[in-house]
Amino acid sequence: MSNSVISVISRFLEEYASSTPNKLKVIDAYLLYIMMTGALQFLYCLLVGTFPFNSFLSGFISCVGSFILAVCLRIQINPQNKGEFLSISPERAFADFLFAHTVLHLVVINFIG
Amino acid sequence: MFYILHTICLFSLLVLSLVLETQALTPTHHLTTTDVARLQAVLSQPFTDLKSAYYSVVGLSKLGISVADAAETCRFIKSNLDPSSVESLFFAAEASQALPGCEIPVSNDTRDLLLATVSEDSTASQIHQSVSALSSLGLPLASQEVVSALKARISKEDNVLTIILALQTASRLSQQAELGEILEEIEDLAARLDDLGGVYLQFEEGLEATALFVSAAYALSDHVDMEPPLKEDQVIQLVNSIFSKKSWDSLSEAFSVASAAESLSNNRFHVPVIVSAQGPAAISHSQPFLRLQVTNVLCKPLSSASVLVESATATSSKSAILSQAPFTLRDGVFELNFMASQPASGYYQFSVAIAGDSRFVANHVELKVKVSTRVSINNMDLSVVDKDQSIGPKTTRVEYPAKAKASFMADSHQIFAMTFQLVDETTGVELTPHQTFVRLHNQKTGQEVVFVAEPDSKNLYKFELDTTERKTEFDSISGTYALYLMVGDATLENPILWNVADVVLKFLDEEAPSTIQAKTLYTPKPEIQHLFREPEKKPPTVVSNAFTALVLSPFLLLLILWFKLGANISNFTLSPSTVLFHIGHAAMLGLMYVYWTHLNMFQTLKYLAIIGSFTFLAGNRMLAQKAVKRYIHNFIKSKHLVKLFSGEQIKVNKCRTKSGKMLLLSVLL
Repeated sequence: MSNSVISVISRFLEEYASSTPNKLKVIDAYLLYIMMTGALQFLYCLLVGTFPFNSFLSGFISCVGSFILAVCLRIQINPQNKGEFLSISPERAFADFLFAHTVLHLVVINFIG
Repeated sequence: MFYILHTICLFSLLVLSLVLETQALTPTHHLTTTDVARLQAVLSQPFTDLKSAYYSVVGLSKLGISVADAAETCRFIKSNLDPSSVESLFFAAEASQALPGCEIPVSNDTRDLLLATVSEDSTASQIHQSVSALSSLGLPLASQEVVSALKARISKEDNVLTIILALQTASRLSQQAELGEILEEIEDLAARLDDLGGVYLQFEEGLEATALFVSAAYALSDHVDMEPPLKEDQVIQLVNSIFSKKSWDSLSEAFSVASAAESLSNNRFHVPVIVSAQGPAAISHSQPFLRLQVTNVLCKPLSSASVLVESATATSSKSAILSQAPFTLRDGVFELNFMASQPASGYYQFSVAIAGDSRFVANHVELKVKVSTRVSINNMDLSVVDKDQSIGPKTTRVEYPAKAKASFMADSHQIFAMTFQLVDETTGVELTPHQTFVRLHNQKTGQEVVFVAEPDSKNLYKFELDTTERKTEFDSISGTYALYLMVGDATLENPILWNVADVVLKFLDEEAPSTIQAKTLYTPKPEIQHLFREPEKKPPTVVSNAFTALVLSPFLLLLILWFKLGANISNFTLSPSTVLFHIGHAAMLGLMYVYWTHLNMFQTLKYLAIIGSFTFLAGNRMLAQKAVKRYIHNFIKSKHLVKLFSGEQIKVNKCRTKSGKMLLLSVLL
């Protein structure tokens, strides 16, 4: 059982390394970074406590929001999905990404206290 | 039409009288003899002009009092008369009518003037004055013309005072005239009265209007001999309104009250009856008669009345003591010897009916009568009993109002006991007054303790003092206490405060006798320190710093990964839009930081709008350029592929439209 899991994972990693274009890998690295930041914040909250709660929420939601927006950008940029996003060029996707981030950051800074 | 009205009135009255039999109002306000005297004094003031003379003379005649100097008054009226003014003629005519032997000379011009005033064009007040003057001076007038003029006036001016004056005028006309429509106005006007709390009924125009309405309505009703459409309760409410004011602002107000009082005392239909007890309604053996004054609104006793007690019930036991007992009239006051029925002391509810005249209104009255008595104390026994009851009690009897000769000693092993009986002095019936207290007063320290003596089932009062039980009330202060018995009740004529004996009490664990401190009610209390909310416990700085570093560490990871992937900024063109975009974007991030530290949302949004629009324009241009570049790149790539296959040279011209979004290629083959 574990054998097949390991083989699946290693094959997945191989495929990933070879067939994903560089741009997407850059975004994937960014995604990993965001996820780790969020996870560490959550860990702090679990260990030390929720004071101040609003700051924790703000930071955590910032991570979650950024992750989601980056995933959206990745989906829209992926040349394999071009058929579904005919009207949205990659530049447009990036512009949307920036705008959404502005709004997210406005909210996060407001809430961080 | 008259007869229909008449039958309707009678029928409604019958129904109403059946309904109202159960719940009749009684007047809450009425004029007392002092009020009537005050009214008379106001009306007797020396008059300054013809108008005040009219009010005084006619007002006093309504109260049944004649003016002091009739001849002088007559002369005054004649000298102040202005024959060319209708108002002046009215005042003079009415006043002279009230004075005996006073005649006003009348000329043809006067008569013509008065008759000419009776028309639709004059005001209601002018019509009233001329008709009254003509009637008082004995001059003929055309009643039908007056009626039509009044009707026209009422339809033009629908206010209360106009209609009241119309009613007054109609009462001076001949009985043959068509007064039916004007009579109906009484009912309409009565509907306009304001009911205040079910107690008062008055016009919003005020007391004077209400009083004038009453006198006008009854004057007209008497004139046509038809009962006015006013219910009994309404009459009583009118009485309350008119007679609630005991001092009057002006002569005209006093006059209106006097004429209302007169019409309510002497009309043919409704005479309100005022019943009041003379002094407090209390009876005792020394005063066995219940005295009632039964008068009309002018405080004149109604001698023709017969007063009857329908029922007298005790409020506590609800047993009827009297039924259908008549009062006897003596010196204008109705009295009844209630003590003859030997009532027990307490309160009684009397239901009194006044009969004798069908005109009487509010002739059922409820009264609360108190019967009081004297109390005497029997069998006052004082004793000191041992707790273990080994030694028999030694009882001392004390007679009121003497004091026990020896003082009683009670320490922790003994109980001091007191028993007595309270009886009615005359009948010997046992009483249970409201207040039976035993007071112990320490003369040295001024301390006093009060206990209640309770009666047992046989109405024998008992009081026991156990020194160990009652230690706290006495603050364990031993000493000589004077014992008082206090007996009191509303129905007792002789409340008792009796120093029965002296008691020496000995308490265990006696504290040093301290003088009683004055109650510390008004001294400053200890200050309360406010405890502010404790701020939440924060984790130690070391932990926070460590985690901050930990959270920032993935950024390093990101940079490493990006470096490994080969992400670079080699495509960075230094075109103005790109530079501006990046500056704008950096400014936005800086604004976020400033927002966190200094600004509020509104200021941030303002700055964000400015920077954002700038960044948007620059970014838009930059991204468009990038898009164009990408498109061309893809196009060339695909063209290269084609070239690879077709082997031909392709020249490419590119030109851009203004927005930079569209790309036109012209292919030159």
